[in-house]
Amino acid sequence: MSKMLSVENLSISFRTDEGVITPVKGVSFTVEKGRTLGLVGESGSGKSISTKALMQLLPGTARLGAASRMIYTAKDGQQISLGNLRHGSKELRRIRGGEIGMIFQEPMASFSPVYTIGNQMMEAIMLHRGLKKREARQFAIGMLNKVGISNAAARVDQYPHELSGGMRQRAMIALTLSAGPALLIADEPTTALDVTIQAQVLDLMRDLQRELGMGMIFITHDLGVIAQIADDVAVMYLGTIVERGPAKEVIRNPQHPYTQGLLDAIPSLDHLHDRLKPVPGDIPSPTARPGGCPFHTRCTQAIAGTCEVHEPPETSAIPGCAVRCWLHTSQGRSAA
Amino acid sequence: MLRFTLERFAGMVVTMLLVSVMVFLIMEIPPGDYADRYAFRKYSGTGVNVTEADIEAIRRDLGLDQPMLLRYFDWIGGIVLRGDFGQAFAFETSVAKVIGDKVWLTAGILFATLLLTYLVSIPVGIYAAVRRGSAVDYGLTVFSYLGLALPNFLLALVMLYFANRWFGADIGGLFSDQYRDAPWSLAKAWDMAKHLWLSAVVLAWSAVAYQIQTVRATMSDELNKLSVTAARARGVPELKLLVKYPARLAINPVVSTIGFDVNRIFSELPIVAVVLGLTELGELLLKAYLDLDMNVAGAILLLLTFAIVFMNFLSDLLLGWLDPRIKLGV
Ligand SMILES: Nc1ncnc2c1ncn2[C@@H]1O[C@H](COP(=O)(O)OP(=O)(O)OP(=O)(O)O)[C@@H](O)[C@H]1O
Ligand SMILES: [Mg+2]
Repeated sequence: MSKMLSVENLSISFRTDEGVITPVKGVSFTVEKGRTLGLVGESGSGKSISTKALMQLLPGTARLGAASRMIYTAKDGQQISLGNLRHGSKELRRIRGGEIGMIFQEPMASFSPVYTIGNQMMEAIMLHRGLKKREARQFAIGMLNKVGISNAAARVDQYPHELSGGMRQRAMIALTLSAGPALLIADEPTTALDVTIQAQVLDLMRDLQRELGMGMIFITHDLGVIAQIADDVAVMYLGTIVERGPAKEVIRNPQHPYTQGLLDAIPSLDHLHDRLKPVPGDIPSPTARPGGCPFHTRCTQAIAGTCEVHEPPETSAIPGCAVRCWLHTSQGRSAA
Repeated sequence: MLRFTLERFAGMVVTMLLVSVMVFLIMEIPPGDYADRYAFRKYSGTGVNVTEADIEAIRRDLGLDQPMLLRYFDWIGGIVLRGDFGQAFAFETSVAKVIGDKVWLTAGILFATLLLTYLVSIPVGIYAAVRRGSAVDYGLTVFSYLGLALPNFLLALVMLYFANRWFGADIGGLFSDQYRDAPWSLAKAWDMAKHLWLSAVVLAWSAVAYQIQTVRATMSDELNKLSVTAARARGVPELKLLVKYPARLAINPVVSTIGFDVNRIFSELPIVAVVLGLTELGELLLKAYLDLDMNVAGAILLLLTFAIVFMNFLSDLLLGWLDPRIKLGV
């Protein structure tokens, strides 16, 4: 296994009317070739902006911390520092789409309503595969077929609003994959869909990821989805990764109280009549990020005098896993 | 697109028909008719005693004793089939002669103004939205407020002053002296263009200021759309991206108000025309009304409303092309 993406110490700040906020702080994760990293966390934890930073898609008010490093290994083996690519450079344009593809939560809004599906697909294909119009069209039809859209030769000339929600997301997957990315970032791609269609799209994405040997970052706030699709998982809370490791390991044996809370919140099939148990407490606003461990305001196991004062370091009790929690340090245990 | 075009075309024809009926009714509103006014004008002060019978004879001569519906068809038929707008009463010649050249000059000014307005406001508005919050953006906002606050005639006076200083004396009017009564030629057209730009700048000024703000607002909205981020994430080059995705939708409100702009320019024309020494239709319309010369007034009104309806038709087609959802009826 080799790393295709290594993010270290990523911090993101925004200039806002209320001053500078830093919703992502010191985030590190890696994506292995051909594997799926699940990025999980509640709303506002910084999952989307962390991945947008990779492709320089953040608005002009955003700044990356000086220590942020994002090293991507391209298809040809070249190592590229994603943060240093110049705006408007050819290399950045090749990375966007051609090396790293992105799928968003809202399939309807991701398409421009005024061009046909085929028009938008052919644009990407001609840009990244260097095909002529006619060949690009054939390629687009083939891709639509591949994602399970029937009658692709006719669908290719339809507008996004003529497709159903599930079909649209399939078409969006086809559009993104038609540029031939080696790494796919899927930002809650199934959240806006019906439950049955969710499962279908999830299956499709997993199959395509395996078939094409892509690396994938799958963003969700549902650990249940992670169990189905991810090989590795990183749990994010208020802009920091509190726990990461192989998905099976983390789900079977969660170390961080927040991960434990998220797992408890999944409605299990055996207890469907039980009420969903959300992680107790409110998410603090990013302008009032708590000091110390960001989770201490909601943590039932917080150690008074430690958790609200000092930020916990990342420790590794189980090989391959890492957790940021005072409960898993010798200092913390002695203080408790 | 063909079906959409035909539908809109039919809509335009029906609207023009209704508008022509309205204009005809407006022409009928003033008390007395053409025969009364003709007789009064012809014989007043001559000492001739005009009887009801004389007027009745004039009326019969001119076909004014016919029912209204017939007269309407006679009037509109003449215009559509022969370009004959009837007799101008105050000038004792045909309406077509009276409005003749002025139609083309007015159309020229309207067209030049529209072109200038859109050529400036659309790219500048897009630029301001892309560079939102920059010094240039703030500068443009200040200009916009200035543009909206400054009265047209004042601007015309100021422009006239500077144009005189920089481009030599003869800048008022639409032609230099040597071309004023010359037949149309390339040189004369060029001479008109040289004079036209000043009126176009004055008339376009406030529209430019207004449309920059419109485009800037809609473009800012469009730039925040997920589809734009998604296209950027696919590596579409930035300039192509701006034109193809957000700009195409951002100009919708500008395109949909073309007819409105025509109307506004026409209403602002007379006061600017007075300052710049132009002879155009607006001024004539006013004069025709004061003289109760309803054939002339009706002809101008009809031309103006037809122009607006036609521009609305064009703007509909353009909108349908810019946003296919419109012609698909979604
Ligand atoms: N343009 C911006 N300006 C200022 N702050 C921003 C901006 N975009 C994001 N943020 C801040 O970053 C935080 C994280 O945003 P992000 O979209 O990454 O959350 P997320 O984890 O993807 O949540 P969700 O599950 O709702 O998509 C937000 O809570 C917000 O405070
Ligand atoms: Mg998000």
